[in-house]
Amino acid sequence: MEQLFYYLKVSWFSVKRAPLPYMLTVLILSLGLGVFFSNATFYYRMNSDPLPDKSDKLFFPMMMLVPYQCSDCKPPSVLSYSNVAKLAASDIPSAKAAMYSADGYLRQHATQPPTPVNIRITQRDFFTMFDVPLLHGSVWADDQARDELLLSKASAEKIFGRSDVTGQQLLLDDRLFTVIGVLDEWQMLPKLYDAFGRNYLNAAEDIYLPLESGYDYNYLSNRNSSTFDDADYRKLATDGRTKAIHQLQYWVQLDTPAQQQAYRQFMANLVADEKAAGRHPSAEANQLVMMRDIIRYFGGESGDIKAFAIVTLLFLLVCIFNASHLSLNRYLSNQYEFSLRRALGAKRSQLQLQLLVDMSMMSAFTLGGAAVIAYGSINLMNYLWPSNRLFASWDLQLMLVLAALTLICSYLVTLYPSLRASFGSLNKQLKE
Amino acid sequence: MPLHLLFKSLQRRKVVTALLLIQLAMTFALLLNSILLAQQTRHQLQQPTGLPLQQTLQVQLKPTTNALRQYPALGDLLMRQMAAVRAIPGVEAVAYSNQGPLLQGGNNGNVHDPDREELSKANGVPLYTVSADFFSVLQLPLLAGELPQSEIAVDGSAPSPVVITKSLADKVFDGTPAAGRTVNRGPVAAVVADFYGQRSAGTVNYNSIQVAPLYGVDWGYSLLLRTTPDSTGKVRQALPQVLQQVDSNIEIFYIRTLAEQQQRLYSNEFGLASLLSLLSALMLLVSMISSYSSAYFHTLKHQQEIGIKRALGASKSRIFNELLSENWLTTVLGAMAGVGCALLLNKLLSQVISIPALSWWLPLAACAILLLCVTVATWYPAAIATRVSPATATKTL
Repeated sequence: MEQLFYYLKVSWFSVKRAPLPYMLTVLILSLGLGVFFSNATFYYRMNSDPLPDKSDKLFFPMMMLVPYQCSDCKPPSVLSYSNVAKLAASDIPSAKAAMYSADGYLRQHATQPPTPVNIRITQRDFFTMFDVPLLHGSVWADDQARDELLLSKASAEKIFGRSDVTGQQLLLDDRLFTVIGVLDEWQMLPKLYDAFGRNYLNAAEDIYLPLESGYDYNYLSNRNSSTFDDADYRKLATDGRTKAIHQLQYWVQLDTPAQQQAYRQFMANLVADEKAAGRHPSAEANQLVMMRDIIRYFGGESGDIKAFAIVTLLFLLVCIFNASHLSLNRYLSNQYEFSLRRALGAKRSQLQLQLLVDMSMMSAFTLGGAAVIAYGSINLMNYLWPSNRLFASWDLQLMLVLAALTLICSYLVTLYPSLRASFGSLNKQLKE
Repeated sequence: MPLHLLFKSLQRRKVVTALLLIQLAMTFALLLNSILLAQQTRHQLQQPTGLPLQQTLQVQLKPTTNALRQYPALGDLLMRQMAAVRAIPGVEAVAYSNQGPLLQGGNNGNVHDPDREELSKANGVPLYTVSADFFSVLQLPLLAGELPQSEIAVDGSAPSPVVITKSLADKVFDGTPAAGRTVNRGPVAAVVADFYGQRSAGTVNYNSIQVAPLYGVDWGYSLLLRTTPDSTGKVRQALPQVLQQVDSNIEIFYIRTLAEQQQRLYSNEFGLASLLSLLSALMLLVSMISSYSSAYFHTLKHQQEIGIKRALGASKSRIFNELLSENWLTTVLGAMAGVGCALLLNKLLSQVISIPALSWWLPLAACAILLLCVTVATWYPAAIATRVSPATATKTL
């Protein structure tokens, strides 16, 4: 320990002797690491798997069951109510849920000002499929229409000032609903169950309503919806259930490869039957997309974050080269001192230890600087790309990666100069 | 100083020179691609929209009760809102629309000539349902036909006439006159000049407009206002209160000029261009530090050599130029290597974002910027070198 303090003392003296080059080295390395780390935070979060145990078992089926002919089209990214009903006839999936999102206004009493809310209109299996935690109450007993809703914890606290509000009544767009459950803190990021059009960047919804009630009350989808025949999209209760108004996402849970194969076959048979009945003229183009591939399938990957990732990596490399350059100059300036110590009997291993302590000290300063710069950089990115804001958080794992990266970069920066200082020709070095 | 001697001098500090060259090459590559992206964003923001951007305000709003979101209460609300807004001093014209222009996406559909559907079909055309003043608010020049003067229901017994933009008319009718003919959405009453509709549409200038009442606004609607040039700010300030006074059961999502709307449409590109520009500036700073440090260290290490040169008759300006020349040479070599890096980076970036290819003059501009930065960074160490006295040479004896 005493030796370590000695090495630290020597390192500190060395810093004090020429503080500017040292500070520049630390600053440049902090800049490179901070900028790289801020973008890596977004990249890591956006590409993380929110359901690692399940994401290979949840699938989005899509079919070309549309009233127009197209030989090389991808199937629509949302399904009609009637197509979902046909798919739901299968018992192969362990769980299945259709869903879409809509906007509404919530209030406790008619005299209160309304609170704008985002509604997920779905079926009961949604909660088990996506591991949604319930804090109070329960989900709907079945998939029938009912004037019952579930609230997110934040919405319950915002409207009632507390979370245990099961049995309370609320006005949603002037209709009376009963709260039957309250979710615990839950934020699926990225929101893969609603991945089309970069919706996966958005926060989870405020309230949850049964699908049949959503159709009965004509809640229009606030995301992707298409109408393919002479249907009035405002008449969801009638046209929405029978005509080609496509607005539903549909997820099925297929736990085993055998189930997945059986479901593919079921989809193929369904399309063949529909074609045979003359209802759908297009060729089969079935898709059964795994949850972890859904963003890529919809082409919604963030190009900006990827582009910036390439550039920040380049910037980090430049900073490492620059810091190495500065570090080399600093060591060459101290060359005589190193050589003198070697001439007085210091072993190379001792010099290497001294350099390791130097590096550790530099790593500590750099880590602090990088964290501050990364924080500032993340705030700047949030300002310029506000839609990515939810993906800006750090956790212990990310912090440990930053620390490890800092250590590696500091080591790389001091590696060549330290080798040169320790292993050069002593005679030559003393003459210089 | 002859070129081969400069090379020799650089060769004496191979590692330092190599590190500097790599940095300069990478900085050069990033600088080039940042300029390209910034140029592209600027070009996108400056492309003609066909719209009076500064003087037009867009209010995006939605009634908060079910009844107000449906006809006939909605029709009444719209009339009251437009009358109140029209009365604000400085408002020249006001219109409602199911959606505004300059959007990423929205309500759209296909438009075609029913007689030749496959050949004439234009997909993803923004479909507007507007009041009659829409054309006056957006100052859209009439090119052919006659603009509808009153709202006719889209699903009424008589078909509601359609107004289409010039580009769409040319696409659907293959360049032949469109007014008086029919598209799948109704008879074409008029053709107006192109304006920017939705970015996600295949062609941004395709637009189809129907002057008709709004029957439901579950997705909200827009009020579009044209103001006198000097009153846009005041009207904007007055709008929330005026609209709330008409009916408080509304939610106003935003009030923006069309110029701000256009800026938001390219906010991602603007964000990336801003970040890359910032990063380029940082890289230039890092390169300047490198050049400074290299030149400064070189001066310190070679004081005796400089002293000998001075003793042998080298003038101060010669010493100064020598040091600058060394750095200029390194910069030019770095820039040459940087062209390859820039092409590689351009190729990598083009796989994830839309970025134009490099043009011939950009490397020259980037090289000039780099040379300027390196010169500034090396100036002080070079000035120090000129202060080395010829007497320093005697220390070597």
